[in-house]
Amino acid sequence: MEDKKAQFDFVWLFAIIAGAAILTLAIYGATKFSDTTRFETDSKIAKEIVIITDSMQAGVAEGKTSSISLNQRTRINNICFEENFGRNSISVSTRSGIGEEWNRNGVPISVRNKYIFSEKIIEGKKFIVFSKPFEFPYEVSDLTVIIPKEKYYCFSGFEGILLENIQSLNLPNAQIENCTIELATKICYGPGIDCDIRVNGDHISGSVIKSEENIKYAGNLLYAAIFSDKEIYDCNVKRILYRTGKVAEELSIKVDLMNARGCSSNMKSDLLIWQHLTTNATSDELKTLSNQAKNLESKNNGELCGVWDWKD
Amino acid sequence: MGLERLNKKGQMKIQQMAFMIVAVFIFFILAGIFLLRISFAGLYEDVDRLEREQAIKSLEVIADMQELNCGSSEYFCLDEDKLRIMSEGFSMEYEDFWSVASIEVRKIYNTTREDIECPDINCNYYNLYDSGQRNKETESTFVSICKRVRSGDLRYNQCEIGKLTVGRFINE
Repeated sequence: MEDKKAQFDFVWLFAIIAGAAILTLAIYGATKFSDTTRFETDSKIAKEIVIITDSMQAGVAEGKTSSISLNQRTRINNICFEENFGRNSISVSTRSGIGEEWNRNGVPISVRNKYIFSEKIIEGKKFIVFSKPFEFPYEVSDLTVIIPKEKYYCFSGFEGILLENIQSLNLPNAQIENCTIELATKICYGPGIDCDIRVNGDHISGSVIKSEENIKYAGNLLYAAIFSDKEIYDCNVKRILYRTGKVAEELSIKVDLMNARGCSSNMKSDLLIWQHLTTNATSDELKTLSNQAKNLESKNNGELCGVWDWKD
Repeated sequence: MGLERLNKKGQMKIQQMAFMIVAVFIFFILAGIFLLRISFAGLYEDVDRLEREQAIKSLEVIADMQELNCGSSEYFCLDEDKLRIMSEGFSMEYEDFWSVASIEVRKIYNTTREDIECPDINCNYYNLYDSGQRNKETESTFVSICKRVRSGDLRYNQCEIGKLTVGRFINE
């Protein structure tokens, strides 16, 4: 009788232990599988965001604005690497209802031929993406800016070309003058009351003051300076100036080819100097460089055969 | 005698249970492998689709790059001087820059079908970049290939029809 009882207990014990092991393994497997699926989805979203920025190429237009809508709250992480052409590394993590609030970042996607300006981590379900060309003095590339749609901006005191440019961005989360949203980030031109960001300068060059930091800009880099972290901004500016130098080098070789077929140009030495000035330049030098860029542009316009932007 | 029979019966039950547990484990493992297979098949398809989308979009990006284009006011227009500079080694400095496996430009109007690589005489083919990847698919678009020429006081753009081809990475 006792033996039968012992046998019964052993069978139950065995079944409980084995059942618990199977259940634990099943739960562990399901969690891991769900993590892998989320990781896969986050990596796909990052890749899709990068592809969307490809179609944001302004081309012959003055700029483009678009939006990205995601199914759930998402964090976009932007890391910038500045060596030579450098790169932006974009990764995504989505909000999870189980365990840790945010999933680990998906596979980071490297973007080498674009300049993505944003805060280091932007969070939301909808994002606004806009692009503006950067001309220095020739068009070097497009500047792509990503901002969360739920963050509001209020522009105050802007006039003339700057105001026209801001209006042309068509940002759905921005108001110009007469701001009604209380929590909006206030961007003032010159002096103003309760300003979070101040802009001093014009559409050619100037500086943006935010969080007690002075960020220099030239041309459309103004919008990048307003909406981006200083670290990301400085890194991307260094990258784009390096590329400006490389284009200058290429154009200086092009001058030789043009001269050889009688379409002569005197721009070679200017382009080589420009290459030397821009290749290792930083955002602090933008104001000085923009004056040089203006001179270079007027010289190219005066040439019989322009080296860039042919005009008949 | 009765005790021995009971022990044997108990051992049998344990054996049965052990076999059952092994069978359940194998079932779960097989089901898991099946699910992973389905899931990864979808992943490979997605990667392929995204790579294809990126290659198609990159045609516009590459044609619009200052390093190759005729100017910011021209669309799908490549500067022949820049193509020559790039194909003669300048593109080596752009090694990691491109998001595609290869970039080629061919003149397609009034030329022989055979590729004659530039800068040879009567050339019709510019090899701008090749990552060396063998397994690749290509996407292409028509472009204008122009150069600025001068005849007396007259300056004009001399253009030909060409084809820009980019190779996209395929998982090997």
